[in-house]
Formats: sequence, C-alpha cells, structure tokens
Amino acid sequence: MTYVDMQGISKAFPGVLANDAIHFSVEKGTIHALLGENGAGKSTLMRILYGIYRPDEGKIFLDGEEVEVVDPQTAIDLGIGMVHQEFQLVPSLTVAENIALGHEPSRYIWIDRKEMKARIQEIVDRFGFSINLDQPVVELSVGAQQYVEIIKLLYREARILILDEPTAVLTPQEIERLFSILRQLRDEGRTIIFITHKLREVKQICSRATILRRGKVAGSVKVDATSERELASLMVGRQMLDIEYERSKNIGEVKLRLEHVRANDDRGVPALKGIGFEVRGGEIVGLAGVQGNGQSELVDVIGGMRDAEGDIYLGSRDVSQLALRGRRNDGLAIIPEKRKEQGLNLATDIAENVIATRYFKPPFSANLAVRPEQAERFAAALMDRYAIKAEGARSLVSTLSGGNQQKVITARELADEPDVLIAAHPTRGLDVAAARFVREELIKRRDQGGAVLLVSADLDELFALSDRLLVMYDGEIVGESRPEDTSYEEVGLLMAGHTHD
Amino acid sequence: MTDGLNNAEGRDVEIRRKRFTLSDPLKTTLVNFGKVLLTLLVALLMGALVMELSGKDSLGAYQALFRSSLGSRTALANTLLASTPLIFTSLAAAIGFRAGVFNVGAEGSLYLGGFAAAWVGFTFTELPTLLVIPLAFMVAGLVGGFWCYVPGVLRARLAVDELVTTILLNYVAILFTEYLVNGPFLLPGVANAMTEEISLAARLPRLAPPSQLNASFIIAILAGLIMVFIMTRTRLGYELRATGDNPVFTRWAGISVPVVIEKVMFIGGLLGGLAGAGQVLGVHYRFVAGFSSGLAFSGMTIALLVRNSPFGAILASLLFGVLRSGSATMEIFSDVPRDLITVLEATIIFFAAMEISISFFRRRRHER
Repeated sequence: MTYVDMQGISKAFPGVLANDAIHFSVEKGTIHALLGENGAGKSTLMRILYGIYRPDEGKIFLDGEEVEVVDPQTAIDLGIGMVHQEFQLVPSLTVAENIALGHEPSRYIWIDRKEMKARIQEIVDRFGFSINLDQPVVELSVGAQQYVEIIKLLYREARILILDEPTAVLTPQEIERLFSILRQLRDEGRTIIFITHKLREVKQICSRATILRRGKVAGSVKVDATSERELASLMVGRQMLDIEYERSKNIGEVKLRLEHVRANDDRGVPALKGIGFEVRGGEIVGLAGVQGNGQSELVDVIGGMRDAEGDIYLGSRDVSQLALRGRRNDGLAIIPEKRKEQGLNLATDIAENVIATRYFKPPFSANLAVRPEQAERFAAALMDRYAIKAEGARSLVSTLSGGNQQKVITARELADEPDVLIAAHPTRGLDVAAARFVREELIKRRDQGGAVLLVSADLDELFALSDRLLVMYDGEIVGESRPEDTSYEEVGLLMAGHTHD
Repeated sequence: MTDGLNNAEGRDVEIRRKRFTLSDPLKTTLVNFGKVLLTLLVALLMGALVMELSGKDSLGAYQALFRSSLGSRTALANTLLASTPLIFTSLAAAIGFRAGVFNVGAEGSLYLGGFAAAWVGFTFTELPTLLVIPLAFMVAGLVGGFWCYVPGVLRARLAVDELVTTILLNYVAILFTEYLVNGPFLLPGVANAMTEEISLAARLPRLAPPSQLNASFIIAILAGLIMVFIMTRTRLGYELRATGDNPVFTRWAGISVPVVIEKVMFIGGLLGGLAGAGQVLGVHYRFVAGFSSGLAFSGMTIALLVRNSPFGAILASLLFGVLRSGSATMEIFSDVPRDLITVLEATIIFFAAMEISISFFRRRRHER
C-alpha cells in the first residue's frame, strides 16, 4: 500500500534545477532508500516533504489524500518527522527536555515533568534504547544524540521518519545498533525514508531504493533483486555523453606523484590507507569512487590542507612539507569540491574572487598596495575568455548562476596554466552547457601539457575524459586501467568493493 | 547552433546592463549613509521618549547638547577632543570585526598603552619633544599591540575563543595598571591613584586653547587614513576581508588564516595603545587609574554602526564626539543626566544589530 506519494515534484534554485519532475512513492511499513550522489537532489526532495521548501510544481499525497506541507509544523502534524544531518538539540538541556521541547505535556501553566518523563520512558523501554533521560545532551556521544533525535520523532508520534545520512557520523557498532532499532520501527508499521549514498547499507536494511541522479529519478528498484554494482551504476549514470573526446596524443613526464600517503578523516578514522599514484603531463587521470571512500581527503592532502604521512612530489620537488601557497607556486591548482565554501567568496565580486590566488603578485600588487584596476582588468579578460555571464567585474558572485560560479573558479585556477590541476567534481550540479564548457577546459589544459587529476563520481564523465582511470575504495586505490580496456561493469564492481582475485 | 544564439543574446543584455552598473558603488554608499543617519535619528527619538517619560524637557536638553558641542569654536574643539580616542578605538574594533575576530581587548591595550606612554614621559625627562613623543607613542603601540597579539595567537593556533580571553585580559590590564599607580609608582601625598606628571617636552601641543584639543587629534586622523588604506588597498586588507567573509575559502586560496588573525589582533591592540597614549600625552599629562570609562566599548558601538567601514568609523567617531562633548553641559543646564548618552549608544547598538539580523532573515527567506 502506497503511503507517501510525491508526484511530479520540481524545485529550482538560481542556476540549478534541484528536482526535475520527480515521482517518489514509498510503501507503508518499509524502509526505503533514497540514493544518490551529493547534489543529486535527495535533500531537496526530503526538505519539500518536510515542509522546509515549497515545490515549484508537483503534488504530495499521504495515504491517498492530497496534502499541502507548508512548513515543518504541518509536517509534524501530518506525522512526518525528519532527523537532519546536523542534529537540532539544545546541548545544555537534558535528554527528556530535548525530546519534549515544544510539545511538553502541561498541567495548568506548568510543564508536567512526571507525565513527560513517563511518556518518554515508555518509548525508550519499548525499543530498548539505552539512554539516561536526565543526562544533559552535551555529555552524550554522537550515536546517543541520534537516539535522542529519533525518540523525539517517536514522541511526536511520527509515522514517517526521514533520516538524512544518519550513518555518516556513526561508528560501525553504532550503525549496527541504529539498524536494529530501524528494523523494530519498521516491524511496528512505521515508514522510514533512509537518505544515503552508501550501497552496503541499502543492501542491509532497505527493501526498495529510489535513485536520484542530477535532479531526476534514475531508477526505482527492489533492493533484493538488484546488485550493489547495478545500484552504483544507476547512481553514477550509464548514458554516454553526447560528445566523444579524443584521447591524449602526447603523454609526457611525471608532474604529480604520491607515495604511501596516509591520512585520517575529520573523525580521526583512517581515510587514506597508503595511496600511491602518478599523473603525467598531457594526461587526464580520472579518479572514480563512490563518495566517502577517501577522495575528499585525498584532495585535501594534495593541497596541504590536511595532516598526512607520505610523500607528495610536484615534478621532482617534494612538497609534502609546504603549505598550499608554496605548492601553488610550484604549479599546483585546485578546483575544490565545495564550490560555495572552498571555491568562492560569495560575499564579494568576481574581481576579488579571481585574484585570490595571485593578489600578492605583480601586477595586482605593487610595493605595499594592491591595484583594484588591475584586478578588474584581469577579471574582465577572464570573463571574456571563459564566457562568464555577469554584468561586470564587480558583480557579486552570489548573484551568478551555478554554472557561471564554477566558471569563475575554473578561470581563476586555469589562468596561470598550472602544471598540475586537481579538479574535484568540477561539473557536479551544472547544466549541460556549463558542464561541457568545464570539461573542454580540462581537455585544453591536458593538450597544452598539463597534468590533470579528475575526481568524479560520474562514470560517463570519467570514461569520456580520462586517459587513465583509477578506482578508489575504502581509502585505497583498488584498480587502474585505461578506459578502453575496461567497462562500466568492471569499474562499478571495484567501486562497490569487489576486488578481483 | 542554439548555443551560439543564446550567447549572442546574453552578450547584448550584458552590454545594455553595464551602463547602469557604474553608479552602483555610489548608490551603495548613499544607502549605507542613509541607514546610519536613520539609526542615529531613531536613537535620538528614543532618547527623547525616555526623557519625556521621566518628565524632562527633551527639546531643551537636545538644544543644550548641540549648542555645547557645536555652538562655538571652543565647543567644536571639545567635540573633536572627545572624538579623538573614539577614532582609534572604533578602528581597532572595525579591523577585528571585519576579519571575523571579536577583539574586545582594545580597552586593556588602551590602559597599558596609556601607562607605558606616561612612563616614557616621566622617565626620559631629558629627551626633547621630537624624540620623546614618538618614543612614547611607539612604546604604547607596541605594548598595546602585544597585549592583543597574545590572545590572537591563542585564537589562531589553538582555537581559544578570543572574545572570552580579551574580556578577561581587560580586567587584568585595568587592575594591573591600578596596582602600578598604587604600588611601585605611588605618588606620596596624593589621594588619587595616579603617576607623577610627564615632562613638559612630552606633552602634546594644544591646538585651540582653552579647549584641551591637542595634537593627538591629528595623529588619530592620520592613523585613521592609514587604516582606510590598509583595509581597502593593501594585501593584508584583502586577506583580512577574505578571512572575515569566508575563512574556508581563504584557506583554499593559499592564505594563512592564523597569520592574518594574529596581525589583525596586533593592529587592534596597537590602536588601543595609541588611544591611551593620546589621552595621557594630550589631556591628562599623567596616568590616572580608571581614566578610560569604556572608550573601547564605544568604539565597538561605532564599528557596529558603520559595519566596519574604516572611513565610516572616522566620520561616526566625530558624530559620537558631538554627543559626548555636549553631554556634560547638557547635564548642567537641563538636569538631564549625561547617562542619556549611554541610552543613545545602547539604542544605536540595538538598531544596528537589528538591521543586521533583518538582512540575515531576508537572505534566509530568499533561500527557500
């Protein structure tokens, strides 16, 4: 029996179509995976269901009846609850106070604490949560904080629970415990929507999966009847790009070399477990992998933005001990993964953004002073060369479309013809024309002798652009091949963690 | 094919629009100026409301206020005198806030810098004016700068909250200078906690007697112009603006954010130290315990009001000088206590902060 039914949902943000006529339906009493890469539109779709965003088009049916979810309060009243990636808890309040916050049982004008705790205790006992209701939330582990969020939904009598990447912050043991609770909830008849990009977890607890890709539904499948490899290929795409690019004709010397690189992620868990590879001039090396297998940490480490062991060479120079500016001086350029945080200063204009890596050099800076007119001239030239659509060099980058924002970053990073370019998900979320433009810039750099490392989760893109493919899984390089010597299937298997014997 | 067409169209629009964008910076400046004036006006109205509610004649009080701050040559000079330390302290706050560091430590730097200037002034009594005054300012600036540099390093390298450390260090600085004038530098036979007077050579020349207006006003204006230059036209200025806007971006551009924060904290403290030196060498001629009465905090109000624009800070300091210099006379002639100025400043903080949160909410709504 269909319980949640979202029909023809579309939602556009400036420059991005986050949801494009999405149909999404979930059976009652099941755990349904909503699968997709970052930027595929999962969070947007769920925020629409939870009333944080209003859809531009489309209808939502709940138990067969059309509903209008105007805000989260409406969603809660309808029995929809959501656990966000960032927990919404008050650290200084106790577990019980957090759970009841805003929905406290009252007696006259006072909060009926006895009743409040009794009701929560009943839920805790029923599901076997191990948690102390009187402990301040600040003292809890991340896993326990997540319990509090889930109990909060149960306390509000949510029948649909949306969990946004609930396992991202948990240890393997905590994940196991979470899953057993989710199974119990399902058996009780509650409906759970599980947002993730981890295939193994989908196989573990979900019965159906809807896969989003670039704002559209790429497939809706029965999990039992679908292999991890098939899920992976739905997630990262199968349709060939409309254009085929020529492979490199002239591969030269090694420009980037990594040896035995090890590093931890933000939680202190090993994310890179002895990485070594090289990229030559005139070569695009594509790094494939399902998100969260160490690619982000690898880019951090190459940029000197994360502590790491091992050696990194630019040309013949060991740059392991240099800060990012030193590495940039040695010919490194990076198009970072998080456009709006790492790649751009949204508070200011194009000119100030494109001089970020060169404001201290002539002609942008002479003696003590910077020279704004030089920055403007440079920005105008780049806007012309890279076809950046904006009113002028002093236009705020926050007013540009996603594609033009990415062009600003691409222009800045490519302007000095870097020997080594790291491009992390450079076309993610872009429309077709902007994505093609960026891809062609990568090809141009390669043809001029640059070494390009393309980190992407999009197999179409990787197969079309790469002269050599590396596959990353769980912090290691598990495969290397030329794209013409391998297949989507093989790469998909490696991405899912099936190494050949 | 269609692509080419689209491009051509886009170009056309671009060129047509360009003509209208030229006046944009001017428009922004005017709008900002209007907002500042509006905030001040609302503050004055709130002040009037408070006065009327407590049965005072608000119009008469304001008349007395403005007459005694702008009504004569001496009144005007006193206004500039009152604005002098505010120019230093508002810039100290503005450079920190602009870089995203909440440096509240300028008050402590002001006390230590003031004491250091006094010490130079009464110790090196043989030195001529042209040596002793620059020396006193230099020592004051370095002492003040170092005082904020330390919490700056803690913030930059160890993520120790600079707001907490600088607030606490203010008490340390204020009480330490109090100890100095009551202990090692105690003047026998004097009831007040103060040092001996500085040498005649160390005193800044008065510009418009009988007003106490002195050469530190000129130094403040010069320092202000240098700060405008630093914040808008130098590499450090670019780095600190980027750090304030988005430290993650700044790091990925290859800029060392910790170094920027340390520099900004040092400059903030240095300006605080100069403010203290100016008051000691130009007004008091000695270090008097507790002489500041929150000059650095008024400076923070000003920085908030003008949203950390260094040029705006200079202008707004002059406006605040009007309020401060007029308030003493107002108290005498209209029985409205000078605490009214505190009401005005608090109202200004309130509305300046409200304006910021309104634009924050507008942005949030835009995102939906």
